[in-house]
Amino acid sequence: MSWIKIISIVLAIIVAAVLPTIWPNPYYVHLMVIIGIYAILLLGLDIVVGYVGEVSLGHAALFGIGSYTAGVLHFQLAVPFLLAVPASIVVTAFFGALLALPALRVNGPYLAMVTLAFGTIIQILINEMTFLTNGPLGLSIRKPIWFGHQITGADYYYIVLFALVLTLFVVQRILKSHIGRAFEALHDSPIATDCMGVSVYGYKVYAFVLSAGIAGLAGSLFTYSEEYISPNTYNFELTILFLLAVIMGGRKTRIGPMLGAIIIVMLPNVLSDIELFRTIATGIAVFTVAYAVYAVATKQGTVRQMLLPLLVTLVLAASGYFMENITEHRLTIFGVMILFVVYYLPNGIMGFLRSIVLKYRPQWIHRHEIVSEQGDDAHVWSVPDHPVNASGYLLEAKNILMQFGGLKALNEVNLQVSKGTVHGLIGPNGSGKSTMMNVLTGIYKPTAGKIEFNRKNITGATPSSIAAAGIARTFQNVQLFGEMTAIENVLVGLHHTYRHSLLDVVFHTPRCRREKNAARMRAASLLYFVGLSELANEEARNLPYGKQRLLEIARALALNPSLLLLDEPAAGLTAPDIKELIAMINKIREHGLTVILIEHHMDVVMSICDTVTVLDFGQKIAEGTPAEVQSDEKVIEAYLGGSVEAA
Amino acid sequence: MEILAQLIVSGIALGMIYAVIAFGYQLTFATSSTLNFGQGEALMLGALVGLTLVGYMNYWLMIPLVLIFGALQGVFVERVGVLPALKTKSEFGWIMTTISLAIIFKNVAENIWGRDDLTFPSPLPTSPLQFFGIRVLPMEILVVFGALAIMLAVEIFNRKSIYGKAVVATSNDRDAAGLMGINTGMVITFSYALSSMTAAFAGVLVAPLTLTGATMGVVLGLKAFAVAIIGGLNSGMGVIVGGLLLGIAETTTGYYISTGYKDVPGLFLLLLVLAIKPAGMFGKSVIKKV
Repeated sequence: MSWIKIISIVLAIIVAAVLPTIWPNPYYVHLMVIIGIYAILLLGLDIVVGYVGEVSLGHAALFGIGSYTAGVLHFQLAVPFLLAVPASIVVTAFFGALLALPALRVNGPYLAMVTLAFGTIIQILINEMTFLTNGPLGLSIRKPIWFGHQITGADYYYIVLFALVLTLFVVQRILKSHIGRAFEALHDSPIATDCMGVSVYGYKVYAFVLSAGIAGLAGSLFTYSEEYISPNTYNFELTILFLLAVIMGGRKTRIGPMLGAIIIVMLPNVLSDIELFRTIATGIAVFTVAYAVYAVATKQGTVRQMLLPLLVTLVLAASGYFMENITEHRLTIFGVMILFVVYYLPNGIMGFLRSIVLKYRPQWIHRHEIVSEQGDDAHVWSVPDHPVNASGYLLEAKNILMQFGGLKALNEVNLQVSKGTVHGLIGPNGSGKSTMMNVLTGIYKPTAGKIEFNRKNITGATPSSIAAAGIARTFQNVQLFGEMTAIENVLVGLHHTYRHSLLDVVFHTPRCRREKNAARMRAASLLYFVGLSELANEEARNLPYGKQRLLEIARALALNPSLLLLDEPAAGLTAPDIKELIAMINKIREHGLTVILIEHHMDVVMSICDTVTVLDFGQKIAEGTPAEVQSDEKVIEAYLGGSVEAA
Repeated sequence: MEILAQLIVSGIALGMIYAVIAFGYQLTFATSSTLNFGQGEALMLGALVGLTLVGYMNYWLMIPLVLIFGALQGVFVERVGVLPALKTKSEFGWIMTTISLAIIFKNVAENIWGRDDLTFPSPLPTSPLQFFGIRVLPMEILVVFGALAIMLAVEIFNRKSIYGKAVVATSNDRDAAGLMGINTGMVITFSYALSSMTAAFAGVLVAPLTLTGATMGVVLGLKAFAVAIIGGLNSGMGVIVGGLLLGIAETTTGYYISTGYKDVPGLFLLLLVLAIKPAGMFGKSVIKKV
């Protein structure tokens, strides 16, 4: 961290700490407390919305669970503050898990739907379970008494400030660790993440539970701040406000949630004061008109593009002068604001500011941590995590049947791969080679048949567990984490070498540092092995196609596999590159790895494969050494489309 | 026993309403993998517009007008909320925009029709009919048949007409349908029109049985979510079974436990189905090609 950053953070904390002495008015202090509490929750919500890319419509309810856990514990059992708060975190995280475990099993808008339903149910339950929650009457709680001193509103401000700084610190540490990298990876390419042994499902649930725990912390702090809680606070409107805050402040930033919290706390105050609203709405309209004129004049936008935002802001400003009472219309205004932010400010205020800085001072923005380690030969290879059993085949697929509706993409295929060999898998387009890859790596569950790897049955196992067992792959259509640098891509593959826990991450223990440094050294060496050392800190999407393929090999090797599946590695490579690739595969074999190679370049297949299996229309038509296969009549027929005699 | 039968009969009418709304979710999910989170609000608007119209005409004449209104409302939602988000391929985008349109509709309705619930005049006699000691409202029978009729009408349209073929083609493979010259954007807009139309129809069906008001759509839309997931987002049969299951579960919970808890079994069922068979009871799980 640069010293400018440290100084500005310290300064910000000092400013926050002296604010109550500048504005001692209890009303302002209370507003600042609420901002702090919302900011804590939003930091957690951003993990789900910003990093994992799922929509949660249940964060108001989770906030309510946190509130009520603290409230009920205090009210019914007189549990002290310092015990009630952690209890709230645990209970809310538990509810988060209860929601996330079923809802995240499938892709799609399920989490949003389930959390929306959950929000309604929780409100009903709080209302109905009178014996526990006192129902609609609500609960009254007092702020704690510490060492004979009754905590006042101003004292409580410092407690919340402390909690906020702590949350910021913890969230920042987590998101900058391998866990945060896993979140970003699964958002970028879920399939590749699974095939790197990082379970997408597991980490999505992890993110949601983490986020729920933070919501619980915010909720319990809210209880003691308000000293009175009732079910109606935790309604759908609050959920909408939270989401508005996250996207308006700016996703995937730490400052964004705080900006968002300020906006949503101040917004009801703005809307309750019609004069203030008129001034602000008119100001926005004037600004939009000025911007539209500027944009059209400098040809940055067309009149048509500018029309809608112009119209909306003008209507908003005009409506201010027609309406007597704005609170009646506040939901409409929230709705319009969300529409506006989604379409015109998709990266929020922070994203907007960042794009301006990026335009004029690009060197100020560091999107990625620069990794300066230089790789060498010594660190490329590592001891495999799963020692290979000496005898028999490494991989044995028996009678694999893969059916898509009526089509049999693989029909009773047997495949035996011996240890330490390069096994070619060839066949015309549509013969089922890639389907075989997907069956072996668990992306497709075979309709029938059995796969044994390293003497273990892996039929029907998840992609991430198969990857963890030691099968790594590359993809025919490149599946890199485009927004990550080359070295970060490899580090995702090295995820399995990070054995330390969440606590190690938070406290940055020596163990955590040791593993981090080792992984970086290894990643740099793997890039060195595939010849990408120069491009280590370049974003993967900016690499040329051939280099992307090489990066995929480096990432796959990071998994320490005993079996490496290469799906058309030579596609898009130039002739000299192909030579290097052959040398690379030979080196991989020398280090005891087994390789399955799908390739259309016959010279590559014939020069390095020990055994070749030929597929056609989902069936195995030939198998043997390259020379045997080359002279096989069926193979020639499959490729040239006629019998040898006819040709 | 008689009470249970009575509860089941009431549950069926309720369940069919859920099924129609859930059917609306399926229509748009099929063509564009998106859902209108304001489906409940489409229902509410249909009911309230219908209520205003019955002041000037009779119930049966009002229905076609409400259907047209519903279709237009669906087109509006698609154009403003869904189309731009589809262009940027952002799931977050369409979820947020349909939600924000939903709260705008609700708020506007509150300001036009007021915050209080209104009674919707029933087009049929309000005295219950007796079948083997079970009392059934004529309106409940209308709900069941009306719901089945509109779902059947949409299904027949999709299967028999050439426009329906375009809808089915788009739902099978949007890109391929586009390459075959089908205007898939039009098809998606059309599916939203159909979806909101069925919701508006459900609104005027259910309104005489319940109270009509700006907040009536929220809970109904939510329950229909549960039904759509329980039945499966791609199974027509599933929503009917899911709807009936949820409707009956609710009326029985309401009677045997407490009316306060009547919304709880829905979520419980929802989580259970997701945990056991995420594609829904009747849904086919889709294999994602790499």
